[in-house]
Amino acid sequence: MQLVRHFAPTAGLALALLLGWEVYCRLSGIPSFVLPPPSGVVRVLWTERSAIGPHALATIGVATLGFGLSVAFAFAASVALHFLPWLRRGAMPIFVASQTIPIVALAPLMILWFGFGLLPKVLLVILVTFFPILVSLLSGYAAVPQAWLDLLRSMDAGRAAIFRRVTLPAARASFLAGLRISATYAIVATIFAEYAGARRGLGIYILAAKNNFRADLVLAAVALSAALTLALLGLLRLADRITAGRFGGPADAAG
Amino acid sequence: MLRVEGLTVRAGEGRVTQDVSFEVAEDRLTCLIGPSGCGKTSVLKWLAGVLAPSLAATGRLSIDGAPATTPDRRIAYQPQQDALLPWLIVAENAALGLSIRGRRRAEAREAVTPLLASFGLAGTEDAFPAALSGGMRQRAAFLRTIVQDSRFVLLDEPFSALDAVTRLSMQDWLAARLDEVPRGILMVTHDLHEATRLADRILVMAARPGRIVADITIDTPRGDRTEAALAGTRSHLKTRLLEETP
Ligand SMILES: Nc1ncnc2c1ncn2[C@@H]1O[C@H](COP(=O)(O)OP(=O)(O)OP(=O)(O)O)[C@@H](O)[C@H]1O
Ligand SMILES: [Mg+2]
Repeated sequence: MQLVRHFAPTAGLALALLLGWEVYCRLSGIPSFVLPPPSGVVRVLWTERSAIGPHALATIGVATLGFGLSVAFAFAASVALHFLPWLRRGAMPIFVASQTIPIVALAPLMILWFGFGLLPKVLLVILVTFFPILVSLLSGYAAVPQAWLDLLRSMDAGRAAIFRRVTLPAARASFLAGLRISATYAIVATIFAEYAGARRGLGIYILAAKNNFRADLVLAAVALSAALTLALLGLLRLADRITAGRFGGPADAAG
Repeated sequence: MLRVEGLTVRAGEGRVTQDVSFEVAEDRLTCLIGPSGCGKTSVLKWLAGVLAPSLAATGRLSIDGAPATTPDRRIAYQPQQDALLPWLIVAENAALGLSIRGRRRAEAREAVTPLLASFGLAGTEDAFPAALSGGMRQRAAFLRTIVQDSRFVLLDEPFSALDAVTRLSMQDWLAARLDEVPRGILMVTHDLHEATRLADRILVMAARPGRIVADITIDTPRGDRTEAALAGTRSHLKTRLLEETP
């Protein structure tokens, strides 16, 4: 019941938008190769399912691998930067600069350097999702109340023990916020990498559909990509809920 | 006997405290009282070995005549506010000091369990701190401090966040605990009334720079301290504090 009340406004709004779109398509007589109605998109999603399916699976694979590696790297980097202030001062500007590289420029270069395989796509996903996770971890570490650190220090705890017992658990909410931001980029970044060149994936599927003037297929792939992102966010929320007991409620309880 | 000699804490050019010297006797409660900002917390943090890096301190600390370096396991510290970790249950919070010192989880809990009842925490050991009242949180923090088995205990305004009535009952409660498990306590407070109810000795600090301007011993046993018996000490203290407050 609570779940229904939670999602009712979103579902209602989405339905209203789709309905408006459908009605517009029917009444205006706009040709369906320019703007297909939602019902048309749903129909091709079903009829083309065996064609789109493998592409979607490829996208899921790349996004999962890239995002997973990104989380692991961001965590390792955050620990290193936390314990080595000189490294933090040196590396942060470089990380920030890396965020200013337009992904449009980078994606084709990656293909050029690393070919059409997994590597360039995974690298691109990491490049896009790494930074928000790293920043959220570091700001979580920095926001730990001084009294907690003092308490452990007064107990003669070493730096590693303080990090493990206080700093890391205290940064949980901040870490999850960073994960959510990065997760919304992960699928989009994968599709972009595939768009620049791939054998399989929603990105290359969109490219082919566009070249054949199939707006309905493009939109079907877009709908699928949105569903994948929502599923990823849902998984993160689930992980949050499952591990929330020890943390006085889930980190996203406010939202 | 814990002894501090010539403690001067500097913040850049300025002085937070100037040449502070005092003793904390075994199994006695010493109160450090003074106006806000006079350096009480800084003195305690120095003793706990957690003074901020932006503050520079000079001074000597000795325990039983032998020089000591902080953090020292013979000294336990309870920060201003209770500093309970919200992701640990009460029993784990209470056992934190022991597990930091390398005791195994089960062993640490065993040391905590028999004390839960007299700390008014029976039945809450599996609760998270967010579910406790202010008084209970404070008692859980005390339990964490006491089970560390340090000879000396530093308390920074332990009751300042409590309402007036809870505060009074917590003062009585603390006095009773100290009769059970005596420790050499150094307690910072703003509260004259609290100091005269609990302390065996009161050190009065003045501000800018922080220094000790009076040292008052109260000989009346805690049990016999009626309002009338304390009136004289209290008005004397009040006069001293007001003299030092510009
Ligand atoms: N990290 C710091 N860097 C610079 N100055 C500091 C620092 N910590 C405290 N001070 C200064 O030292 C002085 C004493 O602070 P302290 O916290 O010891 O006072 P206090 O007596 O405990 O006050 P209160 O009763 O309000 O808790 C204050 O004037 C404060 O501005
Ligand atoms: Mg203070």
